Amino acid sequence: MRSPFRPDLPPDAAALDDHKPLIRSLERRGLIRGGLSLGALVMLTGCDVRRPEAVESALLAISRFNDGVQALLFDPNKLAPTYPASMILRPPKFNAYYDVMDVRPVNGATWRLEVSGLVTDKRAWTLADLQALPQTSMVIKHICVEGWSYIGGWTGVPLRLFLERVGADLRAKYVAFKTADDYPSIIDMASALHPQTLLALKYGGDTLADPFGYPMRLRTAVKLGYKNPKWVTAIEVTNKYSGGYWESLGFPWFAGI
Amino acid sequence: MVCGNLSAMASPRLLFICGMLALAGAAHAQSKTPGGIPLPPGMSLAESAAMRFPQPVRVGDLIGREVLRPVESQDVLGRVRRVIRDANGQIMVVVDFGGFLGFDSRPIAVPVDAMVLVGQDMEIVAFTPKQLRQFPTFSPIGTTDVADDALIKVGLAKPSH
Repeated sequence: MRSPFRPDLPPDAAALDDHKPLIRSLERRGLIRGGLSLGALVMLTGCDVRRPEAVESALLAISRFNDGVQALLFDPNKLAPTYPASMILRPPKFNAYYDVMDVRPVNGATWRLEVSGLVTDKRAWTLADLQALPQTSMVIKHICVEGWSYIGGWTGVPLRLFLERVGADLRAKYVAFKTADDYPSIIDMASALHPQTLLALKYGGDTLADPFGYPMRLRTAVKLGYKNPKWVTAIEVTNKYSGGYWESLGFPWFAGI
Repeated sequence: MVCGNLSAMASPRLLFICGMLALAGAAHAQSKTPGGIPLPPGMSLAESAAMRFPQPVRVGDLIGREVLRPVESQDVLGRVRRVIRDANGQIMVVVDFGGFLGFDSRPIAVPVDAMVLVGQDMEIVAFTPKQLRQFPTFSPIGTTDVADDALIKVGLAKPSH
């Protein structure tokens, strides 16, 4: 008997060709690649695989679902592992979406941190203002989505403390960042309030060096490396999701670890 | 190994695997410009190193580090054996170069300005493996060791993978 689930017309195999680069990029995830057949795509998503945009939006929907589940599972009181100071890699590992030669140092003397959105005090902050706040240090692992990691020692102002000082609405959904290198980023409020999320000013006890985000960068132990914008120039407390550099290219937004 | 850490630390493994679907875009994170950029014509090694934001690093922390080729496959060229000052006072990194599984390698002295730090590793950015094979085997005569506690400055590069 003919299966009632078999479509009258078989899907056009060219649909997979349209996504060759996407599928090839799954090379190291053999399990998924093996399972990502034309039929599986149809079964999985119920989308029309003849339309490339439909496949992409289906995959993005899966990603958004994962983000949602991760956010639900996030435990704001659970601490990420910490390490002895002797394990700090000096200097830290440089990474950006461009090469180190294209780093544009920021002048700490004229740098200002703009604050906007759902806060009561929108005055801009100087580096000296931030240095005058209570500082916290942590030795944590930086874990990159690309698969590498290193242990780093960071000192700075807990983001929670900063948000409280500016009278932020801590029930807001997001804290968004703008940077001098045009690398917008946004994190959920629960991660922003986590005790291992810092506005980092120092590395290994010394002032941050230029390639690592001087004068101030975000450093959080509860997210992947690409959620740690460097050279932060503005912070916004908001209920509106504004996206980020890699997120706009299809990376998961939550990126928790 | 790192992936193992991720799944152990975070959400259940199954979720992580689901997440992999979404990571399809991860290929975008790879460098467009590999760590090894050929020297612009007429530029000295020192000038090019200065553009790479040289950072202080303890000499003792360099010993034993893997030395990679700045290409996506990150081939291992050798390991750092020691850091010396040559007869002209120039700082050189002595690399156990070539061989197979650590056998049959020979030490060569590479100017520190031809190398970069990439996290826990180093890369030789200014010479190709073919050029390095022409380097003479290092001889310590006329050179002095740089002390383990000394800080030297080495340029940076983003990961080549």
